[in-house]
Formats: sequence, C-alpha cells, structure tokens
Amino acid sequence: MLSTTHSDTTSLAVQTEGLGKRFGTRAALDGVDLEVPRGVAFGFLGANGAGKTTLIRLLLGLAEPTAGRMHVLGRELPGGRAAALARVGAIIEEPRFHPHLTGRENLGVFAAARDARARALIDGSLERVGLAARADDRVKGYSLGMRQRLGVARCLLADPELLILDEPMNGLDPAGILAMRGLIRELVGEGRTVLLSSHLLDEVEKTCDLAAIVDLGRVVAQGTIGELVRGGPRAIDIVCHNPVDAARLLAAVPGVTRATDHDGSLRVTLSPEAPVDREIVTALLRRLLDHGVAVEKVAPVAASLEDRFLTMTTRLEDRL
Amino acid sequence: MPDLQLIAADILKLRRRRGMLSLTLLGTLGIVALVFAVTTIQHATNPGKYGPAGGLETYRDAIGVVGLLALVAGVIVGGTAGTQDIESGVFRDLAATGRSRTALFLSRVTGALAVVLPIVGVTAIATAAASIALKADLPAPDTGTLIAGTARVLAAGALSTAVAVGISAVVGSRGPVIGILLAFFLGISPLLQAITFLGGSRQLVPEVAIDRIGDLSTPPGMHVALGTAIAVVLGWIAVSLAAGAWRTKTREI
Repeated sequence: MLSTTHSDTTSLAVQTEGLGKRFGTRAALDGVDLEVPRGVAFGFLGANGAGKTTLIRLLLGLAEPTAGRMHVLGRELPGGRAAALARVGAIIEEPRFHPHLTGRENLGVFAAARDARARALIDGSLERVGLAARADDRVKGYSLGMRQRLGVARCLLADPELLILDEPMNGLDPAGILAMRGLIRELVGEGRTVLLSSHLLDEVEKTCDLAAIVDLGRVVAQGTIGELVRGGPRAIDIVCHNPVDAARLLAAVPGVTRATDHDGSLRVTLSPEAPVDREIVTALLRRLLDHGVAVEKVAPVAASLEDRFLTMTTRLEDRL
Repeated sequence: MPDLQLIAADILKLRRRRGMLSLTLLGTLGIVALVFAVTTIQHATNPGKYGPAGGLETYRDAIGVVGLLALVAGVIVGGTAGTQDIESGVFRDLAATGRSRTALFLSRVTGALAVVLPIVGVTAIATAAASIALKADLPAPDTGTLIAGTARVLAAGALSTAVAVGISAVVGSRGPVIGILLAFFLGISPLLQAITFLGGSRQLVPEVAIDRIGDLSTPPGMHVALGTAIAVVLGWIAVSLAAGAWRTKTREI
C-alpha cells in the first residue's frame, strides 16, 4: 500500500498550464494544459512524435520548458523538483540499466539516489514484479520484458505517489501485457496515480480511467474514457446490396453527414442533430427499401477510443 | 557534500568492471612487479653486468615511470566513471529521481578516486618496498624521497582521474576521452615541456608540476616552486571538475 504521508494535499497529481517546449523553431509542445487527478490511471495518448515523451521529460526536470508552468504532486517545478520527484517513479522510453550489474545491484544504485528507506524496498519490489529468482543475474542477460519489469521495480523504490510510465507495454508478450495491465490497476488500487504514455489505444482504453489526446504538441481532448468516446460522431453500419446507389440515397437523408464504404459495409456518419437511433435507423431503412435496395444488416457503431483518436489527430499523410 | 551511499554505488559500478580493473592493476602493480622480478633475476644471474634491483637511483627512475602509469590508470578509470551512466542511459533515470545532478557528478569523482588512489598508492608503496629490500650494498631511498615519490604518484593519479571524469561529463563518450587524454599526457605534454621558447609558461603543464611534487627534474632552465606546482595540479583539477559539473547540470537528457 501507498504510505500515507502525501507530499501535498492537492487533488491533482500533475497540473500544467500553457506548457511549451521549442527546439529552435519547432514546437514540440505548445500551450499544454493538463490535469491529472490523484489515484487514477491516466492515459496520455498520441502518435509517435506528438510530444508525449517531451512532456514527460519536462515533468521529470530532464529538460527546461520554454513557456508555461507545471506542478507535480502539488509542488511547482523547477523550484520544488527534488521534493516532488522523491515520490515519483518513472520509466522514460526503454528502461536503461548498467548491463554489467545484476538486477539487484542496479536497484541498489538507484536506491542510493533515493532516501534511506529505498534500500529496504528492493527485495519486495523484485518480488512484486516477479524477478526475485533472476535478481542476481546480470542485466545484460535480461529480455526486454524483464527489463521493463525491472524498470517498474525501480519505480517502486520511491514508494511512489505518482508513476510515470512511457510506453510500458513495449516489447512485452501478450502474457506480459496482461500482467503489466494488472500491475497498473493494482497500483492504482493502492491509491497511487499512474500516468501512462502510449500510442497503443487499446491498452489505454483497457487500463486507464481518464486520458488526454495529444496531437502536434497540443492536448486536443481530455476526460474520462467514456467522455472521450462519447464525444465522437455517431455512426451506423449497413450491409446492403448495391452500396454505391445506397450511399447516394442515404447521403440525402436529413441528419446524415456522409455515407462511405467501410470494410465491406456502408458507414453512415450522423450529425449531432440527428434523431435517436430508433428513428434514424427507421428513416434510413425506409429510404433504401423504397428504392428497392435489399438490406442484410444494420448495426449502430459502438464508438471506440480509436475512432475518437483518429478523428482528433493529424494523420500521417496530412503531415507530409 | 557527496553522499556516501552514492559514492558506494559508483565504486560498485567500477568494481564490477572486472576487465577494466584487471587491466588497471596489470598496468600499474603488474608492471612494477614484472620489472623488479626481471632486474632481480638479472642481478642474481650476472651480478657483474647487472647491479642490484633496488637502491635510491632505481627508486627515482621507477617512481617516474609509476607516475606515468598512475596517469594512465586515472585516465582509464576516470574516463569510465565519468561516462558509464551517460553511455548506458542510466543518467537520465538517476536525474529523474530528483537527486541533485551536482551530487551525482561529485559521487562519480569521489568513486573514481576511491578506486584509483589505492591502486596507485599500493603501487608506489610496492616500488618503495622493492627498492629498499633489493638495494644490496647501494644507498636506500631516504624518508623524504619516499614521501615525495609517493606524493608524486598520488598527485598524478588524482589529477588524471579528476580531469578524466570532468572531461567525460563534457564529452559524454568514453573512447574519445581516453584517447585524447592519453595522447595529451603521454605525447603532447612531454612535447610542450621540451619547447624551450615557451619559457615559464611550461609550469602550467601538469607533468611539470607533478615532477616538481615528486622532486624529480624539471625542464632545463626552469625553476618551479613547490607551491606553484601544487597550485597547478589543483587548478587543473578545479577547472576540469567545474566544466564537468556545469555540463552535468545543464545537459538536457
């Protein structure tokens, strides 16, 4: 369990206001306003190069922001950096270790940089991530998955109020992903906050309570997973004969913004003003049947975070 | 003030590099043992041609060489200590603990000195012991000479270690740092000593200062005060460490 001595009483684990980071003329982060409540798993979603790792580097004091303010565990950075980071555990990109040292020795090196209690947490941390049996092997013999787990063990040495995990599922096999997901939920259950940066939408949807979507250095949406998913456009998939004619017919129905081919079916995207599903489905079917188009299947689309993400972020082809 | 736990961690990182430590031991204590063993055998088999393996003059010659070996040992260990966190990528994670980067840097310096100084110190003591034990009928090195010789070796080891750790933090890569510093100490520095038109400015060459501390010969036509020599060594150490600490503190990772 998380020790009860919180470093601050604020309800936010991370708060940024107008945070920016420029490299020359390129803005890696541009006016990021982010609020991560305590005691949740918070997903930070974005494509590669969207600015996720830059934000993490700023939060950990590894780089200086060029604009804005940030608070971690209630302390403003950079002034309160040491006190705030004393209760933060982080994995940035791939976890790195001294390959010629054993897992236990590597944790000893990091415990030395933490406070006096950290050394006593080494054995428990290794046990928790399932590495106790391999703790005295040199890290150069570890698989990527083992190094990821050792990275989590390293985070636990801080008895962290906040864990910042940058792409923690990278290199894990399906069993490892399942175990990591379970571990994250367990940590949240203990009252810790997990900020999970990832480009794996499915993982964020399955693991996190809240999320922010970042695109080209800007946060374009944040909220609970449910809120994010609901915020997307409604759609209905229709399987029918003669989809080309059907698309033309349906595009003319009030409340429909477009009708396009989608994996062998016709995806009808609805405007926010469209009536409820029962009424709009009836209208669509009537239109098709009146014009002699046979309908095989009609199914409202269950919105996913992936759909929402794709509508909100810049596609690769748009950047080129 | 460097943290003892951090220093212990840095010593552990160096101790576990068995290849590097073996090379350093062979390059210092091993060479001294080999040289004395060979000269002892030579003297024993042909005393008419080869004099005793010890004595005052042998000590003076040997301690000059041990000083050079101490420079090399310091460069190798210091270069490794200064770059191993950066090259392995661990430095970023250490800095992310919130620990002062200056403290992390100072622990590297202290850890490297804690490895180098015992090795070169034991080598100096072994040189003194062999010079006394194997002197036969030759005069033995006196206490003042022994102290000066040991001080020379320790100064050489401390200087090259500190310079290597400092420069490593600036450069961030072990190979180039070791190459450049070995070239400087073994090639460029002796050249600078030999260029007479440089005059008194040669006092700034670290090996001139180290030789003076060891009470060995200084370049012709040049007098170096002991205080100046000590100040030069401390100056090299201070400038290198300041550069390394500044780079460690400002490096974006």
